[in-house]
Amino acid sequence: MDFITGKHLPRRTFLRGVGATVALPFLDAMVPAGGFLSKKATAATADRTRLICVEEVHGLAGCNNWGASQFLFAPETTGRDFTFVADNPLKTVEAFRDSMTIISNTDVRNAEALNLPEIGGDHFRSSAVFLTQSHPKQTNGSDLFAGTSLDQLYAQRFGQGTPMPSMQFCIENLDQAGGCTYNYSCAYTDTISWASPNEPLPMIRDPRVAFDMLFGAGTSAEDRKARQVTRRSILDWVTGEVERVSKQVGAADRQRLERYLDNVRELERRIQAVEARNNSGEQRALPEAPAGVPDSFSEHMKLMFDIQVLALQTDMTRIISFKTGRDAQNRVFQECDSKQPFHPASHHGNRQERILEFNKINKFRVGQMAYFLEKMKSTMDGDKSLLDKSLVIWGSPMADPNIHNHRRCPLVLFGRANGAIKGNVHLKAEDGTPMANVMLTLLHTLGVDDLKQFGDSTGEFSLKA
Amino acid sequence: MNRFRFLLSAGVVVWLGVVTTAGQAGVRPVRPQAPVKPTTANAEQRTATDATALNATVKRYCVSCHSDKLKTHGLTLEHFDVANAAQNAEVAEAVIRKLQAGFMPPPGMPRPTPDVHATLVTAIETNIDTAAAAKPNPGARVFQRLNRPEYARAIHDLLTLDVDAANWLPLDQKSANFDNIADSQALSPTLLESYLNAAAAISRMAVGDRHAPTIDVTYTNAGYVSQHPWDHIDGAPFGTRGGMVVDHVFPADGEYVFEVSLTSGSNARFEDVDISLNGQRVALLGYETGPAGGADGRGGRNVRTEPILIKAGQHSIAAAFVRRVEGPYEDLIRPHDWSFAGGGSGGPGITTLPHLRDLVIKGPYRVTGISDTPAREKVFSCRPTQPKEERPCAQQIIARIGEEAYRRPLQQAEIDRLMPFFEEASKKSGFEDGVRTALEAILASPYFIFRLEKEPATVKAGASYRISDIDLASRLSFFLWGTTPDEELQNLAVAGKLSGPSSQGELEKQARRMLADRRSDALGERFAAQWLRLQDIDKVHPDPNFYPNFDDNVAHAMVKETEMFFNSLVREDKSVLDLYRADYTFVNERLARHYGIPGVSGDTFRRVQYPDATRRGILGQGSVLVQTSLANRTSPVLRGKWVMEVLMNTPPPPPPPEVPLLDETGESKDGRMLTTRERMEIHRKNPTCASCHKYMDPIGLALDNFDVTGQWRVRENGQPLDTRGDFFDGTPVSSPSDLLTALMKRPTPLVRTFTENLLAYGLGRRVEYYDMPTVRAIVKNAEAGNLKMSAFILGVIKSDAFQMKRAEAVTTDSVAAEKR
Repeated sequence: MDFITGKHLPRRTFLRGVGATVALPFLDAMVPAGGFLSKKATAATADRTRLICVEEVHGLAGCNNWGASQFLFAPETTGRDFTFVADNPLKTVEAFRDSMTIISNTDVRNAEALNLPEIGGDHFRSSAVFLTQSHPKQTNGSDLFAGTSLDQLYAQRFGQGTPMPSMQFCIENLDQAGGCTYNYSCAYTDTISWASPNEPLPMIRDPRVAFDMLFGAGTSAEDRKARQVTRRSILDWVTGEVERVSKQVGAADRQRLERYLDNVRELERRIQAVEARNNSGEQRALPEAPAGVPDSFSEHMKLMFDIQVLALQTDMTRIISFKTGRDAQNRVFQECDSKQPFHPASHHGNRQERILEFNKINKFRVGQMAYFLEKMKSTMDGDKSLLDKSLVIWGSPMADPNIHNHRRCPLVLFGRANGAIKGNVHLKAEDGTPMANVMLTLLHTLGVDDLKQFGDSTGEFSLKA
Repeated sequence: MNRFRFLLSAGVVVWLGVVTTAGQAGVRPVRPQAPVKPTTANAEQRTATDATALNATVKRYCVSCHSDKLKTHGLTLEHFDVANAAQNAEVAEAVIRKLQAGFMPPPGMPRPTPDVHATLVTAIETNIDTAAAAKPNPGARVFQRLNRPEYARAIHDLLTLDVDAANWLPLDQKSANFDNIADSQALSPTLLESYLNAAAAISRMAVGDRHAPTIDVTYTNAGYVSQHPWDHIDGAPFGTRGGMVVDHVFPADGEYVFEVSLTSGSNARFEDVDISLNGQRVALLGYETGPAGGADGRGGRNVRTEPILIKAGQHSIAAAFVRRVEGPYEDLIRPHDWSFAGGGSGGPGITTLPHLRDLVIKGPYRVTGISDTPAREKVFSCRPTQPKEERPCAQQIIARIGEEAYRRPLQQAEIDRLMPFFEEASKKSGFEDGVRTALEAILASPYFIFRLEKEPATVKAGASYRISDIDLASRLSFFLWGTTPDEELQNLAVAGKLSGPSSQGELEKQARRMLADRRSDALGERFAAQWLRLQDIDKVHPDPNFYPNFDDNVAHAMVKETEMFFNSLVREDKSVLDLYRADYTFVNERLARHYGIPGVSGDTFRRVQYPDATRRGILGQGSVLVQTSLANRTSPVLRGKWVMEVLMNTPPPPPPPEVPLLDETGESKDGRMLTTRERMEIHRKNPTCASCHKYMDPIGLALDNFDVTGQWRVRENGQPLDTRGDFFDGTPVSSPSDLLTALMKRPTPLVRTFTENLLAYGLGRRVEYYDMPTVRAIVKNAEAGNLKMSAFILGVIKSDAFQMKRAEAVTTDSVAAEKR
């Protein structure tokens, strides 16, 4: 998976740990010295809103004309008095209504084909549009170009307060070189987070890998702890060896070794900080490390949600993006009422019974969010729940998947974002409103308030009822 | 006497010629004197006047553009003094480079005659070389670290484990073509952490891990790899097709499960997947493709084996389909060699068999113990039978492994500082874990990760010193083998017998021994592959609609072809010019069919003579031709630029801003498709563009008979190709052999560029202008030996730049700057 372009940053930037884009970007944003240990810093940053962006692929049955007439996504009434029809997938998360904001009727026009060669390639560029709201350049080569995604804009501004500025997760397999057609590179289908218009970020699929990254490799909690102890003694010893060898080498080498020692100290600080986080507060039983990728979709989703909540709880990161599907996949969800493969089912041909069949899959998939929201609601962070302190953006760049349409796309916000969002409201945008308008407003709410434009935004979008 | 008079008068005639061409009035020709040996004074006088004459030449032909006022391309030669070229070496080297290539003065402008041209270049070079010989500068660089390939090879030599360093280490930054350039190897906390992670994981792989966690390891085949019945993967059992072969390290004896996921094809329903361990079948999975269709193409579930008991260690696992079909598919449309690159878009009437995408190795479940493995045998050179034998045995192991890892013997104090790792761990979890922890520390040590070179304390800043034998041995082995020194070399180094007056040519002896060893294949795989940018072939995916025959199998075969070809030149000590002239290459059946070379069957690569004169050397090899193309058309400009940049080190300047894309030029005119040449022609009418393109385009056009995938063609878009062009010096070139002849007329830039790259790779730093005297000396020496490869390689090894180093001064200013 080789689509990170190496970027040469000036040396001092490496020490300061600003997010570089070498092979492991989610590890590379190291915290500046003393950043997260000082009390003042933690107090100031502790109230930073958590951001979780969840992408759904293939739109919703409720975004089809007939589906919309049956209110399978957007409820009939706007404002606070909306109700869900029985078949609305959002009914599965009705319990979280008081922090739910439904935004209907927004468009993701940059996912549409703008010229002849792009027609038909929606599945292979849509995911790149969701969080960037920019039109991706149609290319199979290394000259990718989309935009900087919403989560990364936030991370670049405010992500430095945690060991990992942001994390990216996904459910489906990636990197099907040769399996992405219409002349689009797989990078556009594989990821939703872009650190810059030409730097897509890899997404972690294996819960084990995510776990190891957060808590260190190891079989059990004791093993993990033992490995960290070994690592600290190794770092101690390395310091001694480096100091000794510095005396025997030339001046330029000595200088370089000095900087190496800075790196050693940086790592030691990080280990200390992680330990402090793990040991603070009430005793939390770390779950057993997962073995790998589970077979079942819901099990995989639950595991990933567990890891995400854990990461938020331990303040290892505050910004997460999560891709729950992959365009054009044929997966059959064994636990779902419908046993149709996902992509073919999404091409319902505008026939009512097939739209309802596709809706069953929507219900199943949206229903997975209930587990996550429940965990977020019951996990306290200080005096408020994580859900109250977070903003969850759930949506899809596609609306009616049958015709690969990107008008009137689904978008739902969960969480109160530290009081900035009231919830319990259905907002219907004016016809032709870009989804980017909502995202621009959200960025402003999150604190990135000097942004004048995002994607194809034409202004702000009022989140008030 | 007569002869001398003749020479004298001949010299005068030449000199007169110089003066006349210089067109300087008022310079009186010296009358031929009585034949007498020229005194020093006369020689100096002659040299001074020669220099004056040459300066006049420069003024006449160069300063019209490169003046103080115009400063074309940022260069002014108005005050350039040939006699003092050494004082202005950086500019002088740029001048030499262009003159040797014949690029300057540009075609169309007045040029001096060839012998004047030659005299000028020689004079400048001699001036610089003489000054350099008086004050040699071996250059300096900071220490290097082990990059990915070097790390993997070092681990292989140390622990007989084949690991993929990419699992831990970040991508290596390249500079000046190579990934081992010291000052581009940036250090960072992430890098440090990745070395630590690698040390922790590899130490466990080597010793075995009874408490290994149950994890999934996934190996993936790219979609561009073709897995049809005619594609047999090396290492998979005969009678299979496609699939993959991996060398997986099983951390402990236990039960493991293998799972495969396939990209389903169309019009093929039932497949059997054979799973083999070291050539023996351990499972046969039946697979039924599900409903086909969809660009994703994955209709079925994943299939997995029952838990299989496997012993610890590194084993070769092959997962491949049992071959049921021989020969082409009986289809309505019969595409041969169709890869999946088109994205599984087979419709009715086209067969695409399932391709194996992922192999997941899950486990270990239910660990039963740890059997002996080659890695364990390497580590545990002694085994204690009683508790009191543990400590001495551990010391012995640490000393031995440490010496191999650090590339020098350990001092007792260093061993003493490592022992606490053993003691702490063995107290908690036994002897083996104690050794493992010490091994982890050794692998995390700066002495292993970095290639540090000692500097004597007495050396003053700016002075040069000879590097120690131990450091020299490292440089030698990383240069020729890309890995740590072996025992023989190390022993000589430790004994101080490698270099110095009493060594009696030991260094050369060792170098020759190492070149004859298999491990010197690293020169092809690391040096040549990077110099010729072979990895760029991965960036070009020829459009599968136009080139359905091209897939990753062919692309990798092409890279291997060039690497083997280069290694053959080294092994057989051929002339470096055979890079371009050789009439043979290395192919397997697939590649031979691609090139149209008859009579080759089987997967193994073998040497073949070209049946005709269309291909010679690297300019006829696919690895070069594909990387310089675009997905749907050739690019004569890219090919020309590649030759100029890679082979001659005279890259064209970047295009001016706002050059419209070629794609914006119409593709057809008057009802027929235009060839690439015709589309370029419309651009080249512009004289500003032509000033650079007259160098690049003829080279690329002469190669335009090779299409995007390197196959020979005579038509493009249905139109006959017109590859005629004029090489920048006026020679008409219209075919690869014309191009070869034209290039061979000026071998100097080719040979020097090769040497520069070899030197950079061997030294681990960029070659600077002050290294050019070394380059020229190496080439001169090699010329005496018919330009043999060994002469160049030994030339690099024997150079001051390789064996010595300049002590650098570090001022407080730069320290402060770094700390900022």
